[in-house]
Amino acid sequence: MGYDWDFWVVFREFGLLMHGLINTLKVTGLSLTFGVPLGLCLALLRLYGNWPIRVPVGIIIEFFRATPPIAQLFWFFFALPILIGVEIDPFKASVLTFSLQSSAFFAEVFRGGIVSIDKGQWEAAKAIGMNRNKSLKRIILPQAVKRMIPAFLERAIELMKTTTLVGTISYADLLYEANTIAQSTYRSLEVFTVAAGIYFVIIFVCSIGVRQLERRMARTGETTAH
Amino acid sequence: MTTVLSIQNIHKIFGDLEVLKGIDVNVEKSETIVILGASGSGKSTLLRCINFMEVPTSGRIVLSGKTIGKETAGKVIYNEAELNALRTRVGMVFQHFNLFPHMTVRENVMEGPRTVLKCDKDECGRRASKYLDKVGLGWKSEAYPSQLSGGQQQRVAIARALAMEPDIMLFDEATSALDPELVGEVLETIKELADEGMTMLIVTHELGFAYTVADRVLFLSEGRILEQGTPAEVLVYPKQDGTKNFLKGHGSFRLPEPKLD
Amino acid sequence: MDYLWDFQSILNNKQLLLIGLQNTLILAVVCLVLGLAFGAIVGIARYSRNPILYWPSTAFVEVFRNTPVLVQIMWFFFAFPIISPFEINAFTAAALGLTLNTIAFSAEIYRAGIQSIHKGQWEAGKALGMSYTQQMSRVILPQSIRRMIPAFMNRAIELMKMTSLASVIAYGELMYQAKVVSTIEFNPIEMYTTVALIFFAIIFPFTLLVQRYEDKQREKG
Repeated sequence: MGYDWDFWVVFREFGLLMHGLINTLKVTGLSLTFGVPLGLCLALLRLYGNWPIRVPVGIIIEFFRATPPIAQLFWFFFALPILIGVEIDPFKASVLTFSLQSSAFFAEVFRGGIVSIDKGQWEAAKAIGMNRNKSLKRIILPQAVKRMIPAFLERAIELMKTTTLVGTISYADLLYEANTIAQSTYRSLEVFTVAAGIYFVIIFVCSIGVRQLERRMARTGETTAH
Repeated sequence: MTTVLSIQNIHKIFGDLEVLKGIDVNVEKSETIVILGASGSGKSTLLRCINFMEVPTSGRIVLSGKTIGKETAGKVIYNEAELNALRTRVGMVFQHFNLFPHMTVRENVMEGPRTVLKCDKDECGRRASKYLDKVGLGWKSEAYPSQLSGGQQQRVAIARALAMEPDIMLFDEATSALDPELVGEVLETIKELADEGMTMLIVTHELGFAYTVADRVLFLSEGRILEQGTPAEVLVYPKQDGTKNFLKGHGSFRLPEPKLD
Repeated sequence: MDYLWDFQSILNNKQLLLIGLQNTLILAVVCLVLGLAFGAIVGIARYSRNPILYWPSTAFVEVFRNTPVLVQIMWFFFAFPIISPFEINAFTAAALGLTLNTIAFSAEIYRAGIQSIHKGQWEAGKALGMSYTQQMSRVILPQSIRRMIPAFMNRAIELMKMTSLASVIAYGELMYQAKVVSTIEFNPIEMYTTVALIFFAIIFPFTLLVQRYEDKQREKG
């Protein structure tokens, strides 16, 4: 175990790691931007669509939830361009994959939130003459979204972890850059440990924030046991 | 007298259970009708058929002279927009209040006038103040429902229904979910509305309250009206065995002594 | 969109894919069994009031829950061998990463399950003169395991999906074999579609099972 640790090489290349981190955040952020609204649409279609809409939407959601993200990413990067005859670069393929993938999970979060709202709220809205759309928009969704915030944030954290896959199609995220540095410096122990440390700090801080929020919401009785 | 609401031969079937087996009631303006009956007698279902929270299996509802639904080839078609328009003229108060927890008391009361009736801002504000004052909760305008007692929440729910300025109010066991010491304030509010001439249909288990507030009492049993009449006729001198048994089961209600004169 | 699908090249490589599938299942089963077994120990340690048990187990759980699993696998493959006393190949690295990850997540399931049991149950055991270990093994765990089952099944589903990450370090599981075949046969469309369908066919029944189990639990109240 007489290994000579040398973190200096890692700090010399720290700029590259930060560049990778920014790319990680870019993919995560963009996928969230598309994934959340798309997830809401999917949830509403699955809940309230006629069966010719409801069934395919359900299948799409379940498919994205029950297949490995790496298989999805490879499909969108290697297979889809051939199928449609349009070139898709690693960045676009990543954002496309993770927007769709996360939207399937967000759809289930939305759905869980909507169905957790007491039936009496629908009835009260109906009793003052609201139609379904108005009830959803004014009464049900505001309550559901508030309840689901911790679940959303947990999903966002999961998404950030999953984006480490983009390195496999050569998009230069944090893990990809770490691998590059490791190969050129032969200091893989230090480089991968530092990279893991960076992920840990970001994700751990976010998780603690979510846990605090959950605790506060549980105290005020605003969250469901979901 | 003008008839506000006419319930005509209403039937309601859930699966293979016939909950309502043909109910006819005419409700006159300013009349307060209390509906009594054991649980499962169909009294809540009857109330919920009036504003189409449940769609009746057959029969018609006529509100202020207008028959709801279109009859084509022997089948009645209800259009969602028509039902929503009907609901703006029928206020409903629920057992579990069902206030909107993400809105303040004032916003709860303004929600209907604003988003459904499309009243302007001044009018919404005027109604909110007027009806919250009426139920004695103007001072709680900015509170959230979770900060109120059950009795206060139910009074806000009454104000929310009143703010639509409906032709008729329905109370579906409005005090059943309340702690005993909070029942009084809600009954008091309902009583005031009766005195002011609001047309009301009330489902309740409070027989004493029924006796004092009702112009007419309906006793429902197994989906039919078994007996109806003035409070004294139904509650003090019931003719039917079903009614008598029901009243015996409510020992806590002390019947007013039959007057000797 | 006038692409001509041709699944013949997939059938020609059936053997390679079957080997991959087999390796996927081996990896998943090994990590699941070890993960659930050691997860119980770590979970109980997390529940303990003894700081010597509580702090190390908590640190372990937080580290593995709050870093991406691919980072864990790559760390064990590229970094760990430098200080490891034993040989690390792709399988050991993937198995280490996935097992430790599963231990961390299942430890939290055990802990939450134990916590959900009413305090009176501990007291009833104590009143009978049971030791802590007896209370835990005879009274608490048997009751809480039933509540944990859906969470464990979800973990198994996640684990099944995560095994595909072992392809990144060239462990010959299904995803890796697919990658190899698709570069030889130039059939990425058919290949990756097939792989996705195979995973779906394995995982989706479990999703349904979890749903049914949860619905049943809800009915029971």
